[in-house]
Amino acid sequence: MLTIALPTGRVMRNAIDFCEEMGLPVAKLRETGRQLVVQEGDFRYILSKPSDVPLYVSHGVANIALAGSDVLRECTVDYVELADTGRGQCRIVIAGPQKLRALFSGHPSELMWLKVATKYPHIADSYFSEMGVQVEIIHLHGSIELAPTLGMSDCILDIVQTGDTLKANKLVVLKEIAPVSLRLIASRQSVSLKWQQTMALLKTITRPKGETSYEH
Amino acid sequence: MNRLPRGCINVGGSVAISMDRCRKVFMDLFAPFGYEPFWPSVLQLLESAWPHLPLPFRRRLIALNTPYGEPCCLKADLTLAAVAYFASHYAPGQQPLRLCYADRIFKRPERHENRIESFQIGAELLGWEGEGADIEILWLLLQWLDGIGLDQSVLVIGDVTFLQYALTNVKATVAERLSTYLQEGNLVAYEKALSTYDIPEYSYNILKHLPHLKGGEGILNRGDSLMGSSQHLAPLRKIFHTLDDLGYAERITLDLSLIRELHYYSGPVFHIYACPSGPLIGGGGRYDGLLAEYGLGGQAIGFAVDLEEIATLSHHFSTPRSAMIWSALLPPESALKRASAIFKRGIRGEISWNNNEKQSYDSAKERGYEWWINLATEEVTNLKTHKKTPLTLWKRGEIPCSQ
Repeated sequence: MLTIALPTGRVMRNAIDFCEEMGLPVAKLRETGRQLVVQEGDFRYILSKPSDVPLYVSHGVANIALAGSDVLRECTVDYVELADTGRGQCRIVIAGPQKLRALFSGHPSELMWLKVATKYPHIADSYFSEMGVQVEIIHLHGSIELAPTLGMSDCILDIVQTGDTLKANKLVVLKEIAPVSLRLIASRQSVSLKWQQTMALLKTITRPKGETSYEH
Repeated sequence: MNRLPRGCINVGGSVAISMDRCRKVFMDLFAPFGYEPFWPSVLQLLESAWPHLPLPFRRRLIALNTPYGEPCCLKADLTLAAVAYFASHYAPGQQPLRLCYADRIFKRPERHENRIESFQIGAELLGWEGEGADIEILWLLLQWLDGIGLDQSVLVIGDVTFLQYALTNVKATVAERLSTYLQEGNLVAYEKALSTYDIPEYSYNILKHLPHLKGGEGILNRGDSLMGSSQHLAPLRKIFHTLDDLGYAERITLDLSLIRELHYYSGPVFHIYACPSGPLIGGGGRYDGLLAEYGLGGQAIGFAVDLEEIATLSHHFSTPRSAMIWSALLPPESALKRASAIFKRGIRGEISWNNNEKQSYDSAKERGYEWWINLATEEVTNLKTHKKTPLTLWKRGEIPCSQ
């Protein structure tokens, strides 16, 4: 029995499609209602909030999982990153009003004490700390784009896919931080003790052009 | 409000009982082999610990000042304390030294963690020469795991020198990056780095296959053929074959890409899993290099296991309390003597000094005891079946002892 943790929400469809391409049974998974644990053949799926997916892996509850690289970057738990699926692509960016463009193209010291709203406080802290810049991080859990509009923050750090939400809130991308995509991860004990099983799954991955995957 | 500082813990009840029993089994097993108990100070001087720890580990040290103004940290690693003790207390002629310990360690919690303190139990064999010590430590470890009911536990064993040899002709910065990716478990970045950087063909061929070298003995042959020599994996092969001869082949998995968090390991290293699908409970390995950093010769190997985690997984955790002995209003000196005779037979329990027989009996049931013994009537009552048996029968071994 292999237990696989999958993220719910925006990337769930991508994750299920990917599982299907790996040759995993997903019929029940597509029909799941409020069920959080789905068993199909020799596989058990755990459906979880995206930010919790790495925790299931690090605690050894799930053998493998699909998680966004934004979530992986934000959390610091232990796991092994096996493949970049190339799916669910978007970007982590800093966005804000047009008038801040000059600040971000100038010397980092000009960013000192900026108020940054984000649901990724760890990424924000790492990014600005590496530049030696102290900022005030406002940790929000959703509707991040509202923060500058309502004067709560100067800018935001968030993921952007099409940029439509930014545009609707009169925000522009000020800095690109990292590309984001869905990654296949595994627990340390699965990699050490179930390597052949894990690799068998990996070998079935059909890779779209340009993506990388850890394959033999 | 009566609470502990955030991240701290008092351990009592069945976990504490189980921890103590696991520790006792450990000490009883290791002591006859010459392992002496070691109780290190809770504080380590920052200047002593700092140079021997990698950056991610340093970031987790909990630093403070003593009242004498000396910058210190709460001990985060018991091996360092053991080696420092060895270096300062023993002359070269007194080698080797065998130490065992069960103590708290302290680390700043990572995100998603809460605890700043945990319990480690472990052993170190310092300053030995020649073969055999690796096996001694691993064999005793497996014996101990068996002894506490973890007979499905698995050791994943690797050898960090294999990677070091593979990286010999690779540029230092690239070698460091590749090692870091392997340690962090970022195999995507590892493969990207392999294809990006200019790496000599011989090394590239080994490094490309390295993360796949996991499994049984066949992995060693694969490693030998990649290296073009059987010399580098000879110590690991010896360990594998000896543990096989000792009947532990099924409990061993090899992983040639295994790297431990602490960089002072310099030979065979291992991780310990409670069972094939269970959690990582500890690890260890050879650290001759650390000994050398302290100006000491010889070899060293040790391991540490999370005592609290292992206690909750061991069979001691579910062992019920066995007997409550009711004093039955006997004079204390008489009750103590009679109870002591029962305890000497290996039964674990407590004396109830309650004046009321029924209250004592009900209390024993509520508190999960299996047996209630009336010292006056010398009868033993099974609290599940309510069947009474004369205490004399127990003396003939007819009452099962649940220790």
